[in-house]
Amino acid sequence: MGAIVWFMVLAGAALIPVSASPQQVSPASVDPPAWRGFNQRVQQYLVLRKALPQQRTTKRQEEIIDRRRALAQAIRESRAEAKQGDIFTPEISEQFLKVIRSAFQGSNASNVRRTIRQGEPVPSLHLTVNGAYPQHLPLTTVPPTLLLRLPQLPERLAYRIVGHDFVLQDTEARLVIDYISGALP
Amino acid sequence: MRLMRRLTFLLAVVLSPQTLSLRAQDLTLPVKSDSVRFAAIGDMGTGEPAQYEVAQRMLQLHQKFPFTFVIMLGDNIYGGNNPGDFEKKFELPYKPLLDAGVQFYAALGNHDDTNERFYKFFNMDGQQYYSFKKGNVRFFALDSNYLDPKQLSWLERELAKGGTDWKICYFHHPLYSSGSFHGSSTELRAVLEPVFLKYGVQVVFAGHDHVYERVKPQKGIYYFTEGASGELRAGNLKKTDLTAAGYDKDRSFLSVEISGDDLYFQAISRTGLTVDSGNIRRQGAIQSSVPQTSAVSP
Repeated sequence: MGAIVWFMVLAGAALIPVSASPQQVSPASVDPPAWRGFNQRVQQYLVLRKALPQQRTTKRQEEIIDRRRALAQAIRESRAEAKQGDIFTPEISEQFLKVIRSAFQGSNASNVRRTIRQGEPVPSLHLTVNGAYPQHLPLTTVPPTLLLRLPQLPERLAYRIVGHDFVLQDTEARLVIDYISGALP
Repeated sequence: MRLMRRLTFLLAVVLSPQTLSLRAQDLTLPVKSDSVRFAAIGDMGTGEPAQYEVAQRMLQLHQKFPFTFVIMLGDNIYGGNNPGDFEKKFELPYKPLLDAGVQFYAALGNHDDTNERFYKFFNMDGQQYYSFKKGNVRFFALDSNYLDPKQLSWLERELAKGGTDWKICYFHHPLYSSGSFHGSSTELRAVLEPVFLKYGVQVVFAGHDHVYERVKPQKGIYYFTEGASGELRAGNLKKTDLTAAGYDKDRSFLSVEISGDDLYFQAISRTGLTVDSGNIRRQGAIQSSVPQTSAVSP
Protein backbone atom coordinates (compact mmCIF):
# COMPACT_ATOMS: atom_id res chain seq x y z
CA MET A 1 0.00 0.00 0.00
CA GLY A 2 2.81 2.36 0.90
CA ALA A 3 4.48 1.83 -2.40
CA ILE A 4 1.22 2.42 -4.21
CA VAL A 5 0.59 5.66 -2.38
CA TRP A 6 4.13 6.87 -3.01
CA PHE A 7 3.77 6.02 -6.65
CA MET A 8 0.57 7.97 -6.79
CA VAL A 9 2.19 10.98 -5.16
CA LEU A 10 5.13 10.92 -7.51
CA ALA A 11 2.90 10.40 -10.48
CA GLY A 12 0.67 13.24 -9.34
CA ALA A 13 3.64 15.52 -8.94
CA ALA A 14 4.63 14.77 -12.50
CA LEU A 15 1.03 15.31 -13.51
CA ILE A 16 0.67 11.86 -14.88
CA PRO A 17 -2.85 10.70 -14.25
CA VAL A 18 -2.86 8.24 -11.41
CA SER A 19 -4.62 4.94 -11.53
CA ALA A 20 -5.90 3.20 -8.44
CA SER A 21 -8.14 0.40 -7.45
CA PRO A 22 -10.96 -0.41 -7.26
CA GLN A 23 -11.55 0.96 -10.76
CA GLN A 24 -8.60 1.49 -13.01
CA VAL A 25 -8.40 4.14 -15.65
CA SER A 26 -6.52 3.00 -18.67
CA PRO A 27 -3.44 5.17 -19.19
CA ALA A 28 -4.42 5.33 -22.83
CA SER A 29 -7.64 7.06 -21.91
CA VAL A 30 -5.91 10.22 -20.76
CA ASP A 31 -3.46 12.56 -22.38
CA PRO A 32 -0.48 13.63 -20.18
CA PRO A 33 0.44 16.72 -22.24
CA ALA A 34 -3.05 18.07 -21.63
CA TRP A 35 -2.60 17.59 -17.87
CA ARG A 36 0.69 19.47 -18.10
CA GLY A 37 -1.07 22.41 -19.65
CA PHE A 38 -3.56 22.36 -16.82
CA ASN A 39 -0.73 22.32 -14.29
CA GLN A 40 0.94 25.29 -15.91
CA ARG A 41 -2.25 27.31 -15.67
CA VAL A 42 -2.64 26.31 -12.01
CA GLN A 43 0.95 27.40 -11.36
CA GLN A 44 0.26 30.73 -13.04
CA TYR A 45 -2.66 31.21 -10.72
CA LEU A 46 -0.45 30.46 -7.73
CA VAL A 47 2.14 33.00 -8.83
CA LEU A 48 -0.59 35.62 -8.89
CA ARG A 49 -1.86 34.39 -5.56
CA LYS A 50 1.52 34.50 -3.80
CA ALA A 51 1.69 38.26 -3.82
CA LEU A 52 -1.68 38.59 -2.09
CA PRO A 53 -2.54 38.56 1.63
CA GLN A 54 -2.64 35.12 3.26
CA GLN A 55 -4.63 33.68 6.12
CA ARG A 56 -2.85 33.10 9.39
CA THR A 57 -3.81 31.55 12.70
CA THR A 58 -5.77 33.80 15.01
CA LYS A 59 -8.14 33.65 17.96
CA ARG A 60 -10.50 36.11 16.30
CA GLN A 61 -13.06 34.94 13.78
CA GLU A 62 -13.46 38.48 12.50
CA GLU A 63 -9.83 38.44 11.36
CA ILE A 64 -10.40 35.22 9.44
CA ILE A 65 -13.45 36.66 7.73
CA ASP A 66 -11.76 39.99 6.99
CA ARG A 67 -8.70 38.29 5.51
CA ARG A 68 -10.87 35.98 3.41
CA ARG A 69 -12.79 38.94 2.02
CA ALA A 70 -9.64 40.96 1.38
CA LEU A 71 -8.02 38.01 -0.33
CA ALA A 72 -11.09 37.34 -2.46
CA GLN A 73 -11.26 40.97 -3.52
CA ALA A 74 -7.55 41.04 -4.36
CA ILE A 75 -7.89 37.90 -6.46
CA ARG A 76 -10.89 39.31 -8.30
CA GLU A 77 -8.96 42.46 -9.09
CA SER A 78 -5.85 40.54 -10.13
CA ARG A 79 -7.73 38.39 -12.61
CA ALA A 80 -10.59 40.65 -13.46
CA GLU A 81 -10.73 39.34 -17.02
CA ALA A 82 -10.90 35.69 -15.99
CA LYS A 83 -13.69 33.68 -17.54
CA GLN A 84 -14.95 30.14 -17.56
CA GLY A 85 -12.60 27.88 -19.49
CA ASP A 86 -9.40 29.80 -18.79
CA ILE A 87 -8.05 26.98 -16.63
CA PHE A 88 -10.45 24.22 -17.56
CA THR A 89 -9.84 24.81 -21.27
CA PRO A 90 -12.03 22.83 -23.67
CA GLU A 91 -9.15 20.43 -24.26
CA ILE A 92 -8.49 19.76 -20.58
CA SER A 93 -12.20 19.65 -19.81
CA GLU A 94 -12.43 16.67 -22.16
CA GLN A 95 -9.76 14.90 -20.14
CA PHE A 96 -11.52 15.65 -16.88
CA LEU A 97 -14.84 14.51 -18.29
CA LYS A 98 -13.26 11.27 -19.43
CA VAL A 99 -11.95 10.51 -15.96
CA ILE A 100 -15.03 11.72 -14.10
CA ARG A 101 -17.43 9.79 -16.27
CA SER A 102 -15.38 6.63 -16.02
CA ALA A 103 -15.72 6.90 -12.25
CA PHE A 104 -19.48 6.78 -12.67
CA GLN A 105 -19.33 3.59 -14.68
CA GLY A 106 -18.22 0.13 -13.80
CA SER A 107 -18.02 -1.80 -10.58
CA ASN A 108 -17.27 1.13 -8.28
CA ALA A 109 -19.90 3.48 -9.68
CA SER A 110 -22.40 2.82 -6.90
CA ASN A 111 -19.81 3.66 -4.25
CA VAL A 112 -18.92 6.89 -6.03
CA ARG A 113 -22.57 7.92 -6.24
CA ARG A 114 -23.09 6.94 -2.62
CA THR A 115 -20.13 9.06 -1.52
CA ILE A 116 -21.60 12.09 -3.23
CA ARG A 117 -25.06 11.45 -1.82
CA GLN A 118 -23.63 11.19 1.69
CA GLY A 119 -22.13 14.65 1.31
CA GLU A 120 -25.62 16.16 1.24
CA PRO A 121 -25.34 17.42 -2.35
CA VAL A 122 -27.31 20.44 -3.44
CA PRO A 123 -29.05 21.00 -6.75
CA SER A 124 -26.96 22.87 -9.28
CA LEU A 125 -26.41 26.50 -8.43
CA HIS A 126 -25.45 29.31 -10.72
CA LEU A 127 -21.67 29.57 -10.54
CA THR A 128 -19.47 32.36 -11.81
CA VAL A 129 -15.72 32.58 -12.18
CA ASN A 130 -14.35 34.82 -9.40
CA GLY A 131 -17.71 34.43 -7.69
CA ALA A 132 -17.99 33.44 -4.04
CA TYR A 133 -18.38 29.75 -3.36
CA PRO A 134 -21.96 29.60 -2.08
CA GLN A 135 -22.13 30.24 1.66
CA HIS A 136 -23.58 27.53 3.89
CA LEU A 137 -23.13 25.00 1.11
CA PRO A 138 -22.09 21.65 2.59
CA LEU A 139 -18.90 20.28 1.10
CA THR A 140 -19.70 17.29 -1.03
CA THR A 141 -17.01 14.70 -0.46
CA VAL A 142 -15.00 14.37 -3.62
CA PRO A 143 -14.76 10.58 -4.03
CA PRO A 144 -11.21 9.62 -3.04
CA THR A 145 -10.96 7.10 -5.85
CA LEU A 146 -11.65 9.97 -8.25
CA LEU A 147 -9.06 12.21 -6.59
CA LEU A 148 -6.51 9.46 -7.06
CA ARG A 149 -6.94 9.74 -10.81
CA LEU A 150 -6.89 13.51 -11.25
CA PRO A 151 -3.93 15.87 -11.26
CA GLN A 152 -3.07 16.78 -7.70
CA LEU A 153 -3.63 20.34 -6.67
CA PRO A 154 -1.33 22.45 -4.52
CA GLU A 155 -2.39 23.74 -1.14
CA ARG A 156 -5.12 26.36 -1.17
CA LEU A 157 -6.81 24.84 -4.20
CA ALA A 158 -9.31 22.01 -4.26
CA TYR A 159 -11.72 20.30 -6.58
CA ARG A 160 -15.34 20.65 -5.49
CA ILE A 161 -18.60 19.18 -6.64
CA VAL A 162 -21.57 21.53 -6.78
CA GLY A 163 -24.63 19.83 -8.17
CA HIS A 164 -23.53 18.51 -11.54
CA ASP A 165 -20.69 20.98 -11.89
CA PHE A 166 -17.01 20.31 -11.22
CA VAL A 167 -15.31 23.27 -9.59
CA LEU A 168 -11.78 24.49 -8.97
CA GLN A 169 -11.97 26.37 -5.70
CA ASP A 170 -9.58 28.64 -3.85
CA THR A 171 -10.20 27.31 -0.37
CA GLU A 172 -8.90 30.31 1.59
CA ALA A 173 -10.66 32.92 -0.48
CA ARG A 174 -13.70 30.67 -0.99
CA LEU A 175 -13.74 31.67 -4.64
CA VAL A 176 -14.71 29.75 -7.74
CA ILE A 177 -11.59 29.88 -9.90
CA ASP A 178 -13.06 27.91 -12.77
CA TYR A 179 -15.60 25.16 -13.36
CA ILE A 180 -16.85 22.59 -15.82
CA SER A 181 -20.59 22.75 -16.23
CA GLY A 182 -22.48 19.48 -16.16
CA ALA A 183 -19.37 17.37 -15.63
CA LEU A 184 -21.13 14.94 -13.33
CA PRO A 185 -23.92 12.77 -14.66
CA MET B 1 -26.10 42.73 20.26
CA ARG B 2 -23.29 40.50 21.44
CA LEU B 3 -24.44 40.92 25.05
CA MET B 4 -28.00 39.98 24.08
CA ARG B 5 -26.74 36.86 22.36
CA ARG B 6 -24.72 35.86 25.39
CA LEU B 7 -27.69 36.40 27.69
CA THR B 8 -30.05 34.45 25.44
CA PHE B 9 -27.89 31.40 25.44
CA LEU B 10 -26.85 31.54 29.04
CA LEU B 11 -30.52 31.74 29.96
CA ALA B 12 -31.29 28.81 27.70
CA VAL B 13 -28.78 26.74 29.65
CA VAL B 14 -29.75 27.97 33.09
CA LEU B 15 -33.47 27.46 32.58
CA SER B 16 -33.50 24.18 30.72
CA PRO B 17 -35.26 21.33 32.55
CA GLN B 18 -32.25 19.09 32.12
CA THR B 19 -30.05 21.56 33.92
CA LEU B 20 -32.53 22.00 36.73
CA SER B 21 -32.73 18.27 37.31
CA LEU B 22 -29.08 17.34 37.29
CA ARG B 23 -28.47 13.65 37.72
CA ALA B 24 -25.58 12.20 39.61
CA GLN B 25 -22.97 11.17 37.15
CA ASP B 26 -22.05 7.55 37.44
CA LEU B 27 -18.48 7.62 36.38
CA THR B 28 -17.28 4.33 34.95
CA LEU B 29 -13.85 5.61 33.98
CA PRO B 30 -11.09 4.65 36.40
CA VAL B 31 -9.33 8.07 36.53
CA LYS B 32 -5.91 6.53 36.87
CA SER B 33 -2.86 8.64 37.48
CA ASP B 34 -0.90 9.62 34.38
CA SER B 35 -3.66 8.43 32.04
CA VAL B 36 -4.58 10.21 28.80
CA ARG B 37 -8.07 11.64 29.22
CA PHE B 38 -10.20 13.25 26.58
CA ALA B 39 -13.73 13.78 25.32
CA ALA B 40 -15.06 13.40 21.78
CA ILE B 41 -17.86 15.47 20.30
CA GLY B 42 -19.27 15.58 16.80
CA ASP B 43 -21.76 17.61 14.79
CA MET B 44 -22.05 19.97 17.68
CA GLY B 45 -21.76 23.49 16.26
CA THR B 46 -25.38 24.52 16.07
CA GLY B 47 -25.43 27.21 18.73
CA GLU B 48 -28.75 25.81 19.88
CA PRO B 49 -29.61 25.17 23.53
CA ALA B 50 -29.02 21.43 23.18
CA GLN B 51 -25.36 22.06 22.35
CA TYR B 52 -25.04 24.19 25.46
CA GLU B 53 -26.66 21.49 27.55
CA VAL B 54 -24.24 18.85 26.30
CA ALA B 55 -21.41 21.28 27.06
CA GLN B 56 -22.75 21.68 30.59
CA ARG B 57 -22.80 17.93 30.98
CA MET B 58 -19.20 17.79 29.80
CA LEU B 59 -18.30 20.38 32.40
CA GLN B 60 -19.97 18.28 35.09
CA LEU B 61 -17.99 15.27 33.99
CA HIS B 62 -14.81 17.32 33.95
CA GLN B 63 -15.15 17.89 37.66
CA LYS B 64 -14.94 14.16 38.31
CA PHE B 65 -12.94 13.15 35.28
CA PRO B 66 -10.55 16.00 34.52
CA PHE B 67 -9.99 15.42 30.82
CA THR B 68 -7.39 17.70 29.31
CA PHE B 69 -8.56 17.92 25.72
CA VAL B 70 -11.48 17.35 23.38
CA ILE B 71 -11.38 15.96 19.87
CA MET B 72 -13.95 17.49 17.52
CA LEU B 73 -15.27 15.16 14.84
CA GLY B 74 -16.45 17.78 12.39
CA ASP B 75 -19.38 20.06 11.75
CA ASN B 76 -17.82 22.19 14.43
CA ILE B 77 -19.44 25.43 13.28
CA TYR B 78 -22.53 25.11 11.11
CA GLY B 79 -22.75 28.04 8.72
CA GLY B 80 -19.64 29.62 10.20
CA ASN B 81 -19.34 32.50 7.80
CA ASN B 82 -20.86 35.23 9.86
CA PRO B 83 -19.27 37.26 12.64
CA GLY B 84 -20.38 35.85 15.97
CA ASP B 85 -20.77 32.28 14.77
CA PHE B 86 -17.58 31.06 16.44
CA GLU B 87 -18.56 32.76 19.65
CA LYS B 88 -22.12 31.46 19.71
CA LYS B 89 -21.31 27.95 18.48
CA PHE B 90 -18.00 27.33 20.22
CA GLU B 91 -16.57 29.90 22.61
CA LEU B 92 -19.67 30.40 24.71
CA PRO B 93 -20.86 26.82 25.11
CA TYR B 94 -17.39 25.54 25.97
CA LYS B 95 -16.17 28.64 27.82
CA PRO B 96 -15.93 26.96 31.23
CA LEU B 97 -13.89 24.15 29.72
CA LEU B 98 -11.68 26.59 27.82
CA ASP B 99 -11.20 28.58 31.01
CA ALA B 100 -10.19 25.36 32.76
CA GLY B 101 -7.42 24.91 30.19
CA VAL B 102 -9.08 22.17 28.15
CA GLN B 103 -7.77 22.16 24.58
CA PHE B 104 -9.83 21.41 21.49
CA TYR B 105 -8.47 19.62 18.42
CA ALA B 106 -10.78 19.85 15.43
CA ALA B 107 -11.30 17.81 12.30
CA LEU B 108 -13.27 19.38 9.46
CA GLY B 109 -16.79 18.25 8.58
CA ASN B 110 -18.80 18.84 5.46
CA HIS B 111 -20.53 21.84 7.06
CA ASP B 112 -17.29 23.49 8.12
CA ASP B 113 -15.51 26.30 6.34
CA THR B 114 -11.99 25.09 5.63
CA ASN B 115 -10.76 28.41 7.04
CA GLU B 116 -11.61 27.05 10.48
CA ARG B 117 -8.12 25.63 10.35
CA PHE B 118 -6.83 29.13 11.07
CA TYR B 119 -8.86 29.43 14.24
CA LYS B 120 -6.39 29.14 17.07
CA PHE B 121 -8.75 27.43 19.51
CA PHE B 122 -9.09 24.49 17.11
CA ASN B 123 -5.34 23.78 17.31
CA MET B 124 -5.08 22.95 13.61
CA ASP B 125 -2.20 25.35 12.96
CA GLY B 126 -3.54 26.15 9.51
CA GLN B 127 -3.56 22.50 8.42
CA GLN B 128 -6.53 20.56 7.09
CA TYR B 129 -5.06 17.39 8.57
CA TYR B 130 -2.50 16.99 11.33
CA SER B 131 -1.32 14.79 14.15
CA PHE B 132 -0.44 15.24 17.78
CA LYS B 133 0.71 13.12 20.66
CA LYS B 134 -0.55 12.87 24.22
CA GLY B 135 1.24 10.46 26.54
CA ASN B 136 1.46 7.11 24.77
CA VAL B 137 -1.24 8.01 22.23
CA ARG B 138 -0.87 9.48 18.77
CA PHE B 139 -3.88 11.18 17.26
CA PHE B 140 -4.38 11.72 13.54
CA ALA B 141 -7.04 14.25 12.55
CA LEU B 142 -7.99 13.76 8.90
CA ASP B 143 -10.00 15.77 6.40
CA SER B 144 -12.44 13.21 5.04
CA ASN B 145 -14.04 15.80 2.75
CA TYR B 146 -10.98 15.72 0.58
CA LEU B 147 -8.86 12.62 0.93
CA ASP B 148 -6.37 13.17 -1.87
CA PRO B 149 -3.13 11.26 -2.51
CA LYS B 150 -1.16 13.94 -0.71
CA GLN B 151 -3.12 13.41 2.50
CA LEU B 152 -2.92 9.63 2.19
CA SER B 153 0.81 9.81 1.74
CA TRP B 154 1.14 12.10 4.74
CA LEU B 155 -0.95 9.71 6.83
CA GLU B 156 1.27 6.78 5.94
CA ARG B 157 4.39 8.72 6.85
CA GLU B 158 2.96 9.86 10.16
CA LEU B 159 1.57 6.45 11.12
CA ALA B 160 4.91 4.87 10.35
CA LYS B 161 6.45 7.11 13.01
CA GLY B 162 3.96 5.87 15.57
CA GLY B 163 6.10 3.13 17.04
CA THR B 164 4.39 1.35 19.91
CA ASP B 165 2.05 4.20 20.74
CA TRP B 166 -1.69 3.85 20.52
CA LYS B 167 -2.81 5.13 17.13
CA ILE B 168 -6.17 6.84 16.99
CA CYS B 169 -7.60 8.39 13.83
CA TYR B 170 -10.55 10.71 13.73
CA PHE B 171 -12.41 12.48 10.98
CA HIS B 172 -15.95 13.32 9.98
CA HIS B 173 -17.36 10.59 7.76
CA PRO B 174 -17.74 7.16 9.39
CA LEU B 175 -16.27 4.15 7.62
CA TYR B 176 -18.84 1.97 9.37
CA SER B 177 -22.21 3.30 10.46
CA SER B 178 -25.73 2.02 10.96
CA GLY B 179 -27.18 5.51 10.74
CA SER B 180 -29.89 5.32 8.16
CA PHE B 181 -29.45 8.91 6.94
CA HIS B 182 -25.85 8.50 5.79
CA GLY B 183 -24.51 5.08 6.70
CA SER B 184 -21.04 3.73 6.01
CA SER B 185 -18.66 5.71 3.81
CA THR B 186 -17.55 2.79 1.70
CA GLU B 187 -15.32 4.75 -0.67
CA LEU B 188 -13.34 6.24 2.19
CA ARG B 189 -13.19 2.82 3.76
CA ALA B 190 -11.68 1.30 0.61
CA VAL B 191 -8.86 3.82 0.76
CA LEU B 192 -8.30 4.23 4.50
CA GLU B 193 -8.89 0.81 5.98
CA PRO B 194 -5.86 -0.85 4.35
CA VAL B 195 -3.66 1.93 5.74
CA PHE B 196 -5.17 1.58 9.21
CA LEU B 197 -4.57 -2.15 9.15
CA LYS B 198 -1.05 -1.86 7.86
CA TYR B 199 0.04 0.57 10.57
CA GLY B 200 -1.95 -0.83 13.47
CA VAL B 201 -4.55 1.87 14.08
CA GLN B 202 -6.61 0.59 16.99
CA VAL B 203 -9.47 3.05 17.33
CA VAL B 204 -11.31 5.40 14.95
CA PHE B 205 -13.77 8.16 15.84
CA ALA B 206 -16.15 9.82 13.37
CA GLY B 207 -19.36 11.85 13.27
CA HIS B 208 -21.69 12.83 10.40
CA ASP B 209 -24.54 10.49 11.33
CA HIS B 210 -26.33 12.31 14.13
CA VAL B 211 -26.41 9.38 16.52
CA TYR B 212 -24.02 7.56 18.82
CA GLU B 213 -22.81 4.14 17.76
CA ARG B 214 -20.06 1.76 18.75
CA VAL B 215 -19.39 -0.70 15.97
CA LYS B 216 -18.27 -4.25 16.55
CA PRO B 217 -14.54 -4.46 15.84
CA GLN B 218 -13.91 -4.58 12.12
CA LYS B 219 -10.71 -6.42 11.26
CA GLY B 220 -9.57 -5.68 14.79
CA ILE B 221 -10.26 -1.93 14.69
CA TYR B 222 -12.81 -0.27 16.98
CA TYR B 223 -15.05 2.35 15.37
CA PHE B 224 -17.12 4.91 17.24
CA THR B 225 -19.56 7.37 15.70
CA GLU B 226 -20.42 10.37 17.83
CA GLY B 227 -22.41 12.75 15.69
CA ALA B 228 -25.01 13.83 18.19
CA SER B 229 -23.29 16.39 20.39
CA GLY B 230 -25.44 19.21 19.05
CA GLU B 231 -27.48 17.85 16.19
CA LEU B 232 -29.67 14.76 16.61
CA ARG B 233 -31.60 12.48 14.28
CA ALA B 234 -33.77 10.74 16.79
CA GLY B 235 -34.62 7.18 15.82
CA ASN B 236 -32.16 7.20 12.94
CA LEU B 237 -29.96 4.36 14.18
CA LYS B 238 -31.15 1.19 12.50
CA LYS B 239 -29.37 -1.50 14.43
CA THR B 240 -27.41 -3.74 12.07
CA ASP B 241 -24.92 -6.55 12.39
CA LEU B 242 -22.33 -3.81 12.77
CA THR B 243 -23.83 -2.37 15.92
CA ALA B 244 -22.26 -3.23 19.25
CA ALA B 245 -24.10 -0.43 21.05
CA GLY B 246 -25.86 2.75 20.08
CA TYR B 247 -28.06 5.58 21.20
CA ASP B 248 -30.27 7.88 19.15
CA LYS B 249 -32.82 9.19 21.62
CA ASP B 250 -30.90 12.28 22.68
CA ARG B 251 -27.65 14.17 22.23
CA SER B 252 -24.49 12.67 23.65
CA PHE B 253 -20.72 12.87 23.92
CA LEU B 254 -17.93 10.41 24.56
CA SER B 255 -15.32 10.40 27.27
CA VAL B 256 -12.21 8.29 26.95
CA GLU B 257 -9.32 7.35 29.19
CA ILE B 258 -6.20 5.51 28.07
CA SER B 259 -3.84 4.01 30.58
CA GLY B 260 -1.09 1.70 29.40
CA ASP B 261 -2.71 -0.87 27.13
CA ASP B 262 -6.26 -0.16 28.30
CA LEU B 263 -8.75 2.23 26.75
CA TYR B 264 -11.88 2.98 28.79
CA PHE B 265 -14.85 4.73 27.25
CA GLN B 266 -18.12 6.13 28.51
CA ALA B 267 -20.79 7.68 26.32
CA ILE B 268 -23.04 10.10 28.18
CA SER B 269 -26.31 11.65 27.08
CA ARG B 270 -27.34 15.27 27.40
CA THR B 271 -29.37 14.34 30.48
CA GLY B 272 -26.51 12.47 32.14
CA LEU B 273 -27.45 8.92 31.25
CA THR B 274 -24.55 6.60 30.60
CA VAL B 275 -25.55 5.09 27.26
CA ASP B 276 -22.49 2.95 26.71
CA SER B 277 -19.30 2.13 28.53
CA GLY B 278 -16.53 -0.39 28.43
CA ASN B 279 -12.90 -1.18 28.12
CA ILE B 280 -10.71 -2.15 25.19
CA ARG B 281 -7.45 -3.87 25.98
CA ARG B 282 -4.69 -3.48 23.47
CA GLN B 283 -2.79 -6.66 22.71
CA GLY B 284 0.05 -5.88 20.35
CA ALA B 285 0.06 -3.48 17.44
CA ILE B 286 -3.21 -4.52 15.86
CA GLN B 287 -5.05 -7.08 17.94
CA SER B 288 -7.44 -6.06 20.68
CA SER B 289 -9.58 -8.08 22.96
CA VAL B 290 -13.36 -8.20 22.98
CA PRO B 291 -14.34 -5.21 25.08
CA GLN B 292 -16.01 -5.53 28.46
CA THR B 293 -18.97 -3.27 28.00
CA SER B 294 -22.41 -2.25 29.07
CA ALA B 295 -24.90 -0.28 27.04
CA VAL B 296 -28.50 0.83 26.79
CA SER B 297 -30.50 -0.22 23.75
CA PRO B 298 -30.64 2.16 20.83
